[in-house]
Amino acid sequence: MARKKKKEEEAEVEANLLPVMNIMFLLIPALLLAMEIAAMASINVSPPKFAASANQKKTDKKEEKPLDLKVFIMEDGYRVSASGQQEGADAGKSADSNRPTIPLANSSADLEDYTRYDYAALEAKAKEYKSLFPNDVTVKISAEANIPMQVVVSSMDALAGTTCKIGKTIKSGEQPPDDCYFWQPIVEAGAG
Amino acid sequence: MAGSENLTPEQIAFLKKKKAKAAARRGKPEEEAKLGMTSLMDIVSIIVVYLLKSYASDPVVINPTAGQKIPMSAADASLTEGMPLFVAPSGITFNDKKLVTLTPDGDIDPAMVENHLIGPLYDAMAEEVDKAKQMAENQNREWEGRLILVGDQRLKFSALVDIMYTAGRAEFTQYAFCVIRRNG
Repeated sequence: MARKKKKEEEAEVEANLLPVMNIMFLLIPALLLAMEIAAMASINVSPPKFAASANQKKTDKKEEKPLDLKVFIMEDGYRVSASGQQEGADAGKSADSNRPTIPLANSSADLEDYTRYDYAALEAKAKEYKSLFPNDVTVKISAEANIPMQVVVSSMDALAGTTCKIGKTIKSGEQPPDDCYFWQPIVEAGAG
Repeated sequence: MAGSENLTPEQIAFLKKKKAKAAARRGKPEEEAKLGMTSLMDIVSIIVVYLLKSYASDPVVINPTAGQKIPMSAADASLTEGMPLFVAPSGITFNDKKLVTLTPDGDIDPAMVENHLIGPLYDAMAEEVDKAKQMAENQNREWEGRLILVGDQRLKFSALVDIMYTAGRAEFTQYAFCVIRRNG
């Protein structure tokens, strides 16, 4: 009798996994819906009044003249100016609104065609300025009213450097890599 | 069995085996088919854990509104916590409410803008800022005032400036453009 009892006790009890499986299968579509399909990133943009603190300005004056790089996106190209002087302007003039510093790469393209701008030339220009002012990281960006956001974003990419990977550097507080030029954009309204 | 005369010896042997198997089956009770749940459970558990992990790692979940094309960028900085503002070609959505409509040309409805200030958006933002500030105060932390602008590739610069100006007036001090990370 004692043996029989023991055998009965040892009989395997199988867990009913069906309810657990039901929950699991419901969780999968719910989580898939909540998940982002495309990898999102952010470009931190500063409004003009927060561009530089008073203390920073003072030290800049002592050390070197600030670059004050400005890029104005027009329908016919980029107007680039530094230290108040537009590059490519007529002699004796600080700005020349008729001519862009960097003309369009594809002038026949529509305004909605974001490849019409010469991003490579803008990046080359940023690299040139960066070699002269290695400590400068800010750039003021402005555009004409009809310029689409994608052009503004792509121009920011070009000015920061297309190979610039600043995400981890910002988090850890390290020095930005050499291939990062002007990665702190300041959006300005209607500044030409 | 006239047909069996044409069969090859291999075929006859196969038929014999089949008959013998059928006879053996008739004598035995039918076997119950069992589904192996353990391996299935393993796979499903791994998928659920992976999905939970990827869900938890994003502080802000961005669900673009219909017809919205988020700009593409080479930027790699991850999104940090903030209030999202969605700007689609049809209108501006803040806090799940469509507040402002955009004209077919992509301009903000002129009736809603006065000196760059978008009235309905400012009211909603100011209300939300007050709530967020109070919540931060209760939790003994500083309110960061960060706005995540989830824009559209076609959004006009003039509209973008108006939105930023309005956000500035509503005491937002930090701005981030939400972009889709371009591979490569």
